[in-house]
Amino acid sequence: MPENTPTRALRLGVAGPVGTGKSSLIATVCRSLADELRLGVITNDIYTDEDARFLRSAGVLEPERIRAVETGACPHTAIRDDITTNLLAAEDLERDFAPLDVVLIESGGDNLTATFSPALVDAQIFVLDVAGGGDVARKGGPGIGRADLLVVNKTDLAPYVGVDVPQMVADASVAREGRAVLALSRSDVASIAALRAWVLGVLESHRRGTHVPQDPGPMAPHFHADEEHPEGGFVHAHDETSGDEHHASAPHHVHSHSDTRK
Amino acid sequence: MQPSPQTISLLLADARLPSGGHAQSSGVEPALLAGMPVADVPAFLRARARTTGMVDAGTAVLARHRALDCIPVAPIERAWAARTPSRAIRDASKDLGRGLLRLAGRIWPEVRSSLDHLGESPPRPLVLGAIAAHAGIDAESLVRLTVYDDMACAVAALLKLEPGDPAHGVAMVLEACSSIEPQVAAVSSITAAHQIPAASAPQSEAWSEAHALTTRRLFRA
Repeated sequence: MPENTPTRALRLGVAGPVGTGKSSLIATVCRSLADELRLGVITNDIYTDEDARFLRSAGVLEPERIRAVETGACPHTAIRDDITTNLLAAEDLERDFAPLDVVLIESGGDNLTATFSPALVDAQIFVLDVAGGGDVARKGGPGIGRADLLVVNKTDLAPYVGVDVPQMVADASVAREGRAVLALSRSDVASIAALRAWVLGVLESHRRGTHVPQDPGPMAPHFHADEEHPEGGFVHAHDETSGDEHHASAPHHVHSHSDTRK
Repeated sequence: MQPSPQTISLLLADARLPSGGHAQSSGVEPALLAGMPVADVPAFLRARARTTGMVDAGTAVLARHRALDCIPVAPIERAWAARTPSRAIRDASKDLGRGLLRLAGRIWPEVRSSLDHLGESPPRPLVLGAIAAHAGIDAESLVRLTVYDDMACAVAALLKLEPGDPAHGVAMVLEACSSIEPQVAAVSSITAAHQIPAASAPQSEAWSEAHALTTRRLFRA
């Protein structure tokens, strides 16, 4: 767990697949809160400092408050298995601009399995968009299922991509067993107000010391191809019910990995 | 029960150790971006092992020696910096040292006391040396660990940067590590700063300086 002192900023992670609008969401948060909160941003780009430059050029924060870290071609590792680079960047930002209220950490766009370690962030937003397909929310996974907030982004595009937004939100709500889902568009003022209110609510509980970082957990059940298997492979899960660490399981065996991060 | 020094050596050499190494390429990305042919990587690694590698290993040995005798380690930083003229390479080493110290401080709090007056980002070899002193790692193992970690980091990065057979990468690591065996005995017996090898690698340092200014990179250095 991050050392949770009253002076430390709320560290808020933003994860989700490439192109779903993570940088844009961070710009939206900054635009709606920069007047009342002291903010900082860390981006985890894969090939470049493109996201950091986008945010600097958006003019929503002083450029010095937006920093990029390298992830060694592995954005997943940088937010979960070895969070050192991000932790050091967050500590530097908090020290250089003390006191900060919120540090937003944008993950490099990865797949549906990448979520932040609770040792790095206090809360996390997972971002999907309607253009990625209305069925993605149903597919589940740790970010979709258990991030503190799931954003269904770019709802203004729904008519053009044939996606039923209320249905996608309903699917997501089922996958999340009732956890928060927000349909967002940067052109929908009410949705931006809802996002703003959510961030302020998490910040409030962080300051009161009542917020406990949650771990969305490791990878969702997934299929391993195996040419020698009669059905072409086997389903493999990493959940929290048993301690089996063996990856090359027998065919047809759904097994689990203990979650040691709790 | 204390873990054996050998176990701790294995831990420190493990690429999965969460101390920030995965964002580093040991100079390989700077070299490839500057146009060095991939075929030259084995030679690059051998050159790095006998230059930067020996400076770091000698520094780590001296840091261990002083930490064992409870003599401040801080003055060695200048000897290391004088032998590491590239600021980009010094910064990369300090990033690694900071990540390693952050982790080591949780496991062996006494490591921090050996590194008094060095701030939160001592160079990697000083942190390795202090850990070795507190964990009971002998000087020869420390030399091999210092070089191996750097070579393994280089090859892990290479596989992300260029298509290649991972098994070939393993062979490259072993070849580069074995190339410094003739120096291990001498470097592991260093007890004074003037004995640290002064072997710089100007071309590699220039590549690292250029790399630090680019915006398109996967690795920190």
